[in-house]
Parts: sequence; C-alpha cells; structure tokens
Amino acid sequence: MTTMTTKRRLTLAALTGAVALATGLAALPAAAQTSLRVFSGGQNQRPDLMRKLFDQYQAKNPGVKIDIETGGATSELQRQYLSTVLNAKDSAIDIYMIDIVNPAQYFGAGWLEPLDAHLGMSGADAMKPYLPVYASSNIVDGKIAAMPAFADAMFMYYRKDLLAKHGVAEPKTWDELAAASKKIQAAEGNPNLQGLSIQGAPIEGAVCTFLLPYWSQGKDFNDASGRMTLDKPVAVKGLNQWLGMVDAGVIKKNVAEVKTPDTVNEFMAGQVIFAINWGFAWDRFKDDPASQVKGNVGVMPLPAMAGGKSATCVGGWQWAVSAFSKNKAEAAKLVKFMSSPEASKFLAVEGSLLPVYQSVYTDADVVKVAPWFKDAAGVVIAGKSRPMSKEYGQVSDVIRTTTSAVLARTKKPEEGVDEIASRLTRVMR
Amino acid sequence: MTRMDRTLQGRNLRLIAAAIVVLNGFFPAVWILLTSLKTETELVSKPITYWPHNPTLQNYVQAFTDQPLLRYLGNSLAVAVMATVLSLLVAALAAYAIARLNLKRRQLILTCIVASSMFPLVTLLVPIFETMRAFGLLNTYTALVLPYVVLNLPVCTLVLVSFFQSIPKDLENAAMIDGCTRLGALWRVVVPLAAPGVFTAGILAFVNAWDEFLLALSLNSSASMRTLPVGITLYQGEFTFPWPIISAALIVAIVPIAVLIAVFQERVVGGLTQGGLKG
Amino acid sequence: MAAPTALDRLRDPSEKTLGVMLLAPAFLLLLLIVVYPIGKLIWNSFFDLRLSGGSGVKFAGFENYALVLKDPDFWNATKNTVLITLITVPGALVVGLGLATLANLPFRRKWPVRLALLLPWALPLAFAGLIFAWFFHTEYGVVNDVMRRLGAAEPTMWLLRPGWAFTAICMTIIWKTSSFMALILLAGLQMIPRSLYEAAEVDGANKWQQFWQITIPMLMPSIIVALIFRSITALQTFDIPYTMTKGGPGNSTETLAMLIHKTTIDYLDVGYGSTLAVCMFLLSLVVTGFYINRIGRNA
Repeated sequence: MTTMTTKRRLTLAALTGAVALATGLAALPAAAQTSLRVFSGGQNQRPDLMRKLFDQYQAKNPGVKIDIETGGATSELQRQYLSTVLNAKDSAIDIYMIDIVNPAQYFGAGWLEPLDAHLGMSGADAMKPYLPVYASSNIVDGKIAAMPAFADAMFMYYRKDLLAKHGVAEPKTWDELAAASKKIQAAEGNPNLQGLSIQGAPIEGAVCTFLLPYWSQGKDFNDASGRMTLDKPVAVKGLNQWLGMVDAGVIKKNVAEVKTPDTVNEFMAGQVIFAINWGFAWDRFKDDPASQVKGNVGVMPLPAMAGGKSATCVGGWQWAVSAFSKNKAEAAKLVKFMSSPEASKFLAVEGSLLPVYQSVYTDADVVKVAPWFKDAAGVVIAGKSRPMSKEYGQVSDVIRTTTSAVLARTKKPEEGVDEIASRLTRVMR
Repeated sequence: MTRMDRTLQGRNLRLIAAAIVVLNGFFPAVWILLTSLKTETELVSKPITYWPHNPTLQNYVQAFTDQPLLRYLGNSLAVAVMATVLSLLVAALAAYAIARLNLKRRQLILTCIVASSMFPLVTLLVPIFETMRAFGLLNTYTALVLPYVVLNLPVCTLVLVSFFQSIPKDLENAAMIDGCTRLGALWRVVVPLAAPGVFTAGILAFVNAWDEFLLALSLNSSASMRTLPVGITLYQGEFTFPWPIISAALIVAIVPIAVLIAVFQERVVGGLTQGGLKG
Repeated sequence: MAAPTALDRLRDPSEKTLGVMLLAPAFLLLLLIVVYPIGKLIWNSFFDLRLSGGSGVKFAGFENYALVLKDPDFWNATKNTVLITLITVPGALVVGLGLATLANLPFRRKWPVRLALLLPWALPLAFAGLIFAWFFHTEYGVVNDVMRRLGAAEPTMWLLRPGWAFTAICMTIIWKTSSFMALILLAGLQMIPRSLYEAAEVDGANKWQQFWQITIPMLMPSIIVALIFRSITALQTFDIPYTMTKGGPGNSTETLAMLIHKTTIDYLDVGYGSTLAVCMFLLSLVVTGFYINRIGRNA
C-alpha cells in the first residue's frame, strides 16, 4: 500500500514539476529575433571587414541577425538602385552605407530616419568626437542624418625616388610643383612621363578637381546655411591653374578623359611623378603585385595656391537608417556600434581605412600598421566637405560636367564658371 | 572565263564577304578575350599591346572566386530560357490573330502592343517594383520573366506578324480542310514555315533577356538571384575598374549564347524553308 | 441543328472569339506589368513632384509641359536625339542589309558567319559602350593606334571634341544595331524562294536589278519591322552615350533619355522627369505612327 502511495506521490511530484517548468518557460520573455539587412557598397567599401564587425556585434547581441546586401558597385549604380527602392518606400533594407555627399539629399527626400532620439543626443554633441567635417555633412535641418563609417581624403602622392634623384624638394605650392615636374620631366627625357595626374572626366572626383584650387585660395563655395557664395574670379583662376599646367606639358592634354583608376594605373606603371588620389591608392601602390613603384612612393598634403593654404576634399562613407525600416531602434543601435571608436580602430588596423575619430589616428596599434596615418591626420582634419545641399545631385552634375568641359577646352573657364553660377544660384539659396 | 575560274572567283568573293562579316562581329569579342589574359598595368603601356605579354588565366580564377559567377550564369540561363519560351508563345498567338483574323481594330491593337516600348524603362521602374513587391515576387525568377516577356512582346509580335503575313493562306486552308482546327493549323503549318522568323524572334528575346540590366538590378538584388549583367558590374569599385577581370566575366557571359546559337541555327533554320514554298 | 454549346464554340470559335482568346495572354501581361506604371507616369507628369525639396506634391497641371517647351536642355537633348536617329537608323539599315546579304551567300560552314552577325547584339549594351569608349581612347585606343601606324601625326582626342565624340557614338550605335537589323533581314532573305531569282536570271536580269526588283520588295515587311524598332530604340538612346561620354563634353552628346535619367535619378525631380518621358513617348508615336499604318494595312 505504501509503495502505491509513494509511486503516486512521485508521479504527482513529477507532474507538478513539469507543469511548473512549462509555466516558467512560458513566462520567460520570448527571445526576440531581429533580422537586420544592411546595404553596403561594392568592393571598395570592404564588405568583408564590415561582416567581421557584424559578427562581433551578433556575438554580443544574440537576438540580432545581420545580413549584408552588396549591390551597386559604384556611387552611381547605388544611386540608381536606391532611388528605385527608396522611392517605392521599401522596408526590406534597414541600414544603408552612403557616400559622404548624400545625407543631405536623401534626408531631404525623407528616406533617412533622424537618429537624434535613438542616440539620445543632439546633432552637435553627437558629432563632437569625430572629424570636424562631419558636423556639416551629417547634420541636416539640425537633425542627425547619418553616422560616420570611415573617412577618406585626397592626397598628393609622388615618386620619392625621382625627387631625390633630381634634388627636388617637396613642393609646397602649385607653382613649385609645376617647376619641379618640368625639371624632372626634362631631365628624364621620357615622353610618357607625366608631371601631374588629376581626374578630369565628368565623374564625382571632378567636383574635387574644381574645388581644390578654389578652396586653396581661401574661399568657400557655400556658407553655413547652404547658400552659394561662389567667387567667380577666384574660380576662374583655379581652373586656369590646371589649364596652365596642361599648356606647360605638366598635365597631359586629354586630362578630361582621366578617371580615378587611370591615375592609379598610370602611377603604378611608373608613368607619373605627382598624382592626386584618394587614400585607398596608398595600399595599391605599396602592395599590388603589378605595382612598379613599390617603396618609391611618398605622400604629402596637397600644395597650396600661391599665397593660399593647402586644402583637400574629404570623402568617405556613412551609416544611415532607412526611414521605412521596421526595426529602427535595433538598426540605430547597430549604427552606433559601427561608428564607435572601436569599430573605427578595427577598420584602420585591418583595412587601412582612414579613421573618423581624431584620437584613433595616433593610437599605437594603428600607427604600427599604417605609419602614414600620423601625417594623414592633419590633412583629413583640415579637409573640407563638398557643398552639402539637398540638391546635391544637381550641384554635382553641374560642377563636374562644366569642369570636364573646361579641361577638355570646349568651354572657356569664364564661360564655365558663369554657367555654374547661373545654374546653381536657383538651387543653392 | 572558264567554269573553274568563275567558281574560284565566286569562292574568293565569298571568302572576302565572310571575312568582312566575321571581322565586324568578332573584333570586340576577340579584344575582350585578349584583355582577359592581360594584367591591368599592361593596359596602360604605350604603345598599346594587342597580344598579351605574359598571358595569364588568373583573371578567370578571380572572376569565379570574387563572385559566384556560376550562380549568376545559372540565374541568367533560367530567366532567359523561360522568358524566351513564354515570349514566343504569347507573341505567336497574338501575331496569328493580327496577321490572319479580320479584326476590326487591328492597327489600334498593334499600336497598343508597340506603345509599351516607347517609354524609357527607367521611368517605369518604381511602379513595376511596387507591383512585384505587392505580389511577393521580388527576388524570384518570375519577377524578371514577366516584365521581360512584356519587353519582348513588341519585337517578337511584329516580327512574327510580318512572317506570318508572307505565308500564303492556301496552305492553312488545305490543312483545315484536312480536319485541322485553326490553332492546329497555326502550330503545324504556319510556325514551321515561318521558322526563320520564329528563330529570329527567339534569339532577340533570349539576348534581350540575357543582357537586361535595370530590372535585374532593381528587382533581383539578392546575391543568390542576381543575373550576369548586374554581377559583372560588381567587379568594379568606386575607384577601381579591373578590365581584365571584367573581360573574363564578359567572355563567360558571351560564350553560352554563342554556343547556343551556333548549335541551334543549323538545325532550326536549314532545310525547313524551301520545302513548303515551292509552287 | 441544335444551337452551338459553349464547348462547341471553344473547339471551333468564331473569328471574334478566337481573336479575343489569342490576344488575351498578351494583353493580360501588358495590363499586369505596364498599364499601372504608364498610368502613374502620365499622372505624375501633371504634378510638381520633387523629392529633394521635401515640399511634397503639388498639382501643376500643364505647367511642367510649359517648362519643357522653354527648357534649353530639353531642346539640346532632343536635337541630339533626333540627329542620332536620323544618322543611325538609315546607317544601321544599310550596314545591316549589307551584312545580311553577305551572310546569306551559300557558305559551306554557316555558323561562323551567323555567329558573327549575332555577337554585336549579344554584347551587353553598357559594356559595348565601355569597350568602344576604350577603342576611341586618345592614348589607349585601337583607333588611334591604327591611325598612328598609318602615319597620323597627332592622336585625335575623339571623346573630347563634340563633333568627334558624336561621330564615335554614332559609329558604335551603328555597329551594335546593324546586327539587330541584319538578324531580322537575314530571316526575311531566307524566306524569298530561289525560284524567283532563277526566273529573273532566265529573263536576263543582272544581280543589281534582281536586288532592287526582287529582294527589296520581298524584304519590305521585314525592313519595316526592323525600322520601327530601330527608330524607337534610337529615340531612347541612353547606354552608349552615357558610358562613352556621360553626355560630354558639356552637353554636346546628351540625349533625351539621358536627360530623363538625370532628372529622375540624380535630381530626384520625378514630376518633371515624367513630363519629359511623356514627351519622348509622343515623339516616338509620331515617328512610328506611319510605319504601323503600313503593317496594319498589309494583310
């Protein structure tokens, strides 16, 4: 009799235990599984490194799963894709990596979620730890439109060996650079040796080609409110600076055909003394198996116009949350992680991507991997941003098309500058 | 001139003719083939080189490892084949109606079919995207096949109309007296006789589907459903344009079509035309 | 006799029913895929819809159309587009007809010639533009290299001079589209019974007369079809000038389709872009209108 009772008691206990367990489990909050889709760019935006950062984040946040979508290899193709998808208010993608020039236009179109509330701070405070340029490029209508991912800027690369061989010092002004080129070109006697390679094709980089000598004379293209403040004679002088170098044989005659990869390839083949290009080129010159200039490349800030200051164009990429995302809070958290100092250091060490924090430039580990970042820091910090306009698509188109036409000598500099002024006055008010 | 002279002269002329056509068609493809065997720095050497200095297959290796090129190939093949078959089917039915039936508003119908091609695709993208999304078809083969059929409809229909019109009605009438329905006459008499037209419409539909870019970029953006033209643009970067690797990928994109055509054209076109038209 | 049942009607339908059945799939697809987009496009063209401004949508009536008529960029682009059409449509026809005739000669092995006809069409359009931009490159292009070997003093900066750039673009377009024409014309050529030529030879006609009196008339339906589509696509020329010159130098090679692309994608001005697209449609309608008349009447 006792055995029966014990057995029944045991069964009862087991059943009670099972019920308690089941109730307990049911009472636990269901583990939220959020799926985030990130649109990152093409090869040059290093989706492989971003994947590693996402894995780190996933490890720390088990409820989140991140997928990368690579689409649109260039800014152009991405714009084509994004304008379709965002125009259709698609919610499939939560986070976008966009070019530094795009936050204003995309935010104005209502495609980006303002991050102030999600990050818990105002625009000015959020941007303080970063490079100065982001204060203007990422804050639109007083709201945070995007957070910095990694930076870039235009540098002056040069052949250390050639300068040393002919006893030429690093030029500090454009006139010095032209003189140095002519001396070296004459001495080398190689008809295929270019003095300076710049990008004159109607690509985005041509906007920088227009702005570099303009900024170097100390002028700004627009004021803080976005109104255009174009100084026409200064702009003409800047364009004539380039044309003068073409006439002197320093820059090649078909400069209006030169795109960013052309400069890189020609420099790597040893055909160029001075080259203006973005930060990524440094690794190509140093490590690419086909590079014939390994060990002979120097990097320095861009020369200044006579009597002016050195100025450079800042590039780089930003993280933005889609206004149509269904997981805005989680997406904002991920964006905050991706734009943290740790992420910036990781990208610098693993991929030599220029950091977006001033402090990271002088971090010991970073300097070990990329010693040139120490010098780069000054350049990037002093770098200026292209006009932050909600109509940047139009601004960019007008400037780059006209600059290319002037460099192709189908328009005179005065005509070109007048056209820029007349077309953009309506747009940049 | 002796008979042998005339034959030789005819043969020489034919060789020259063949050379012109072949040179015109193959030159860029050969250039791409040679480029796919070079390195990027060789492309900026002066003067330019034609034959590669050190031919290398590395670009092909990279083309297949940098991206899932075979996957893209498979997707393109699936979409193109489905789009071609469906295009021919729909177009043949419509073309028969226009060519043979005494329809009152024939011109209006033709205009409606052709009019859809008169709008630049870039302006129709967003609504098409919305439609596909509404049906849950994004990132599927269907999402591309249906628009491709619509894009091919004007060309295929008109080509088939012009070919159906050139076939004498007596042959169909004869078949129908023998007990065929109209549709049966279409498939058994008209289509085989219009074989060159059907084949041409088929090639055009296939190639258009194979090379289409904008819709493939916007509708099938996930890597597993991506088609070749979109995939090939992904070898470039914001600042890089590796012609050798892109050339290798282009060769991979062109070869299947070339093989398909070379195999099919003899079998489909040869021999069928002369028979039915005698007398 | 009993009245025909529905099943009877399906098996042996009247002309009208058959017509509806045959055309149904085509029109169903058109309805599904393009009617909404085209409708929305025309709708948008009457609104001031500029996304960048963030100012929302305002009804504008025919204001956009009035702006188009006053827009110098529109007239420039239309001029370029019409020029390209006038040059490349006949150009592609002549070259295509030549290629098709050559390809129709009796060869023992037909496939290299047929393949050579197809390859230009098979090359994706955007890449064809990039490849030919390379051919016409001042320093690295084959064209200048050949000219240099033939003794030219200075390399021509093809894509940097408006006239030369236009020429290079037209040559590329003709190269690519002549294969489209040749494909259609070759099929037409193969349908011409040899007996006609044999009879003409017996009557003493030479090759040239045979060409004009037999080939061309018998080929006319194919020629018209080829011309319709070549014209429509010529008016929509985009990829080749876009990849070769981006419309440069300046605006000199910008086509209407490029202007529409720029307005819609770069400027995010959807309303105005739609208006431009409707204008392009009207232009295409006019140009192809009378072609379609010929076909419609021909049965």
